[in-house]
Parts: sequence; C-alpha cells; structure tokens
Amino acid sequence: MLEPLLGSKNRERILLYLCGRPEGYAREIARFFKTDLDPIQKQLDRLELGGVLYSHQVGKTRLFGLNPRYPFLPELRCLLEKAIEFYPPEARENLVITRRRPRRKGKPL
Amino acid sequence: MKSVARMSLAEFAAYVSSHLRKHGIRAVLSGGACVSIYTGNRYQSYDLDFVENVPSSRKRLQEVLSAMGFTESDRCFKHPDTDFFLDFLAGPLAVGNEPVHHTAELTFPTGTLVLLSPTDCVKDRLAAYYHWGDKQCLEQALLVTQNAAVDIRDIRRWSAGEGKLAEFERIRSKFLEARRKRE
Repeated sequence: MLEPLLGSKNRERILLYLCGRPEGYAREIARFFKTDLDPIQKQLDRLELGGVLYSHQVGKTRLFGLNPRYPFLPELRCLLEKAIEFYPPEARENLVITRRRPRRKGKPL
Repeated sequence: MKSVARMSLAEFAAYVSSHLRKHGIRAVLSGGACVSIYTGNRYQSYDLDFVENVPSSRKRLQEVLSAMGFTESDRCFKHPDTDFFLDFLAGPLAVGNEPVHHTAELTFPTGTLVLLSPTDCVKDRLAAYYHWGDKQCLEQALLVTQNAAVDIRDIRRWSAGEGKLAEFERIRSKFLEARRKRE
C-alpha cells in the first residue's frame, strides 16, 4: 500500500509491523509476512541507519522499534495507522493485536 | 597549527568542522561531544557525532575526509593520529520532534566549530533520558546546565511538546539547583 512511497515492500511490512508493537525482531517479522529473512534484515539495518528505528540486543536477539527520537515519528505513525485501516479486518487484527503480557512457560493456552 | 595528535576534542572538532565547511559541507556537532565541550571535559567523549540538515553525498564526505587522512571503518571515520572518531548521523538536525534553527559557534586556533547551543544540548540529552530512561544523560544535561547558560523555560516548553511535562516538573528543581551553582 505504501510501497510506492517507501520504495520497498519489506520496508512497508517492517514499519506496519512495528507500528502495532513496541518492538520486534527480524525472524519474527519475516515469519509474520511469510517472507525471507535476509531482505527484512537489510531493510531493518537501513531504517536504523536512517534514524527511523532503534535497536538493542537482548541475549542473542536484536530487537527493533520505532525510534521515539525520530522527528517525523508522529506523522509517520499517522500514515501507518491510516494504511492499516485499509487492510481487510482479519489482516488488520493480525497486524495490531499481539500477546505481549507475560505467560509462565508450559502453561496451556 | 597544532598537530592532530595534540588537539583536544574541541580543537579537533573545530578542525574537522572548518574543513568540511570549506568544502561546502555544513555539519553540526551534536551528542555527547557537545557535553564534553560545554563542561570542560567533565564528561569525556571520543565519539564526534555530526548531523547535516541537508545531507551531502556519502561519496563527497568520504573524498573530503580521506584527503584529511581519515579512513572509514564500520561507517565511522578514524584518523591515525587520534582516538577521537567521527560519525555522521542521518538528519534532519532535531532535538526530539523539534527542528534546530539556531546553532552555536565556537572558535579555536584550529578552526570554527558549529555545534548545538547549550540549551539544545540539554534537550538532546533529555530526549535520551525521556525516551530511553538513560540516567547518565540526565546527569550530563545537569552538568551542562551547571557550566553553560541554559534557558530552562524553553526546555520546559520543549518537554511539554515531547509529552514529558510531568517528567520535567519532577526533575525541574535539579535544573534550578544546577543553574544556581553556575551563578
């Protein structure tokens, strides 16, 4: 949807994914969109270099999030949120709803 | 002129800043190096973060810096005669959500340095404190307030714009105390 503006489908996927969550990592994003890991990693690096994303290491995983210090973040969020509204209800729900609260290991769902 | 090996951080930054400007690259020093300069090295930084409002091409930057003896490694520029290194961050020049319209200039025998003003330097450090919870950055903001003229009212206004007015009110007394120490 925003690909013509952002210049890359994976860049759009990453931003949409991170718009609905505090943080995410490359493999999780690639798995969510059923796509290859490598182009997602490349776009994550580019977005971080451009100041749009931040990252930090937790154990062996590099977590990424929308950079709260990016000066265009409020406007970018508006754009992403509007783009999410155009998705079909099921896809929209998947994009914005994720379980982040803690759950004891082994506890049945 | 002093050799690069003997330059202080501020002199080295001014040397780089002037050279870049001579070649049409207007980069503004930001980040921890400004804290170092405004506090007379009470906080020591080796990392010189420059930001350009209108970015020049990476190739042009590489050419100019290479002619000065810098080599690029992992997107940072290093000079063989000093431990200080340069990083060019993605613009625009901003503190949080606000663009920076007025920069400061300091002149040294090695050149003229364009950098964040003390007030914007405090905002830059506070942005890191507000958004990352980095307490060292709050200490740095207070150190700058203790050592340079800072507009606390403007910082309060900016904090409100960042959605952090309540947090600023919580730490405001520390800034007033830091300013008193300077006076």
